[in-house]
Amino acid sequence: MNSILDEIHDAYAAVGITVEGVATYGTYYRLRCARCGAALGCVGDKLLPAMARELVDGEFELYAAGVAGCACGLQKARAREIDPARAAAALARFA
Amino acid sequence: MALDEQHAAARRDSATEETEDRAERARGGGLWPFWTASYAAGDPLPDLSCKVSRPEHNFDEGDELPPDYRALLMKMLRHEGERAGNKSFLGLMGTCIEIAETMAPDAGARLIKSEYLAEELKHAIMFHRIAVGLDPDFALRDVPYAHYAFHLPKETWADDALFHFLIDLNGAFHARDWRESSYVPLRKISRTVERDELGHSEMGYYFLSALCAERRGRALVQALLAKWYSAALDMFGRSDSPNTPRFIEWGLKSVGNSEIRSAYKEYVDRKLTALGLDLPDERQGRRFL
Repeated sequence: MNSILDEIHDAYAAVGITVEGVATYGTYYRLRCARCGAALGCVGDKLLPAMARELVDGEFELYAAGVAGCACGLQKARAREIDPARAAAALARFA
Repeated sequence: MALDEQHAAARRDSATEETEDRAERARGGGLWPFWTASYAAGDPLPDLSCKVSRPEHNFDEGDELPPDYRALLMKMLRHEGERAGNKSFLGLMGTCIEIAETMAPDAGARLIKSEYLAEELKHAIMFHRIAVGLDPDFALRDVPYAHYAFHLPKETWADDALFHFLIDLNGAFHARDWRESSYVPLRKISRTVERDELGHSEMGYYFLSALCAERRGRALVQALLAKWYSAALDMFGRSDSPNTPRFIEWGLKSVGNSEIRSAYKEYVDRKLTALGLDLPDERQGRRFL
């Protein structure tokens, strides 16, 4: 596994998303809910160093509000655990 | 009317309706191709013709190419990526299918995405022919997209819409730049690729318009915009790239990175503003200024 892919795995693990093996040839990977396995999108492995964490953090409000992430609610719950105040503000913003 | 005649007429009516329905569905609910509406109102893209004096070059398939020219042309085609023999391009298309399957809001949107995929595969054949004419080994070489914009996560339908509106539009601007290309095979396909890619961008814009029509959708698009906007502007490369003067001198590009980015930004900003979106700071999150 290359270091960028390690970064991607780590960044998504924090919010309850598993980066599944290669989704299509070579460079693209499927994102799945770590609890129920639902497909949540895709990501490529040519991100720049340190970019994965920044991107996942940039989606925090979307996970917290349930606008992104799984319908089962895992990422929403994770966001509340990570930063309750930020999660509450996001909920209000997307209400 | 006799019963047999009535049945025959009913079958004819039914067949006509089916044909009309099929025709409408086959063209993305009457919306596809999106470029027709854009070009009907005049040339939608800015003039990117060369404004500096340079030698005139013209090379066709089979001509012996100067080594520097060949190197730059191959570099350009590696970045382009839409080749039938490029497994990573086919992989990217695979993700597009999966996103359409799992995130599209309805069957109509999925049908439109199927038209998009078909057209990108048409480009893959066109660029395959160019690759074979240049270097048969290159035609089957896997060249993953090097730019991070092609690797950003897509976790919502809005991500996909922004990808098409902004990243396919980048392709349209580059294809416009090839109208004056000194490489004849590239010049020949430039207008088709430009118009198709503009249409793909308009498809993304159509989906964005639907999302932005309601408050929660617009908030989602606004939240994701900075991520895609900075990547899209970065795709034109560094303004001081040392290769740019060589590309222009050889007639492989007509304008510099800074000029094409500026024209692109003006076009994009106008359309984003029309959706009621706030424009991100153009320097925020940028990696290649």
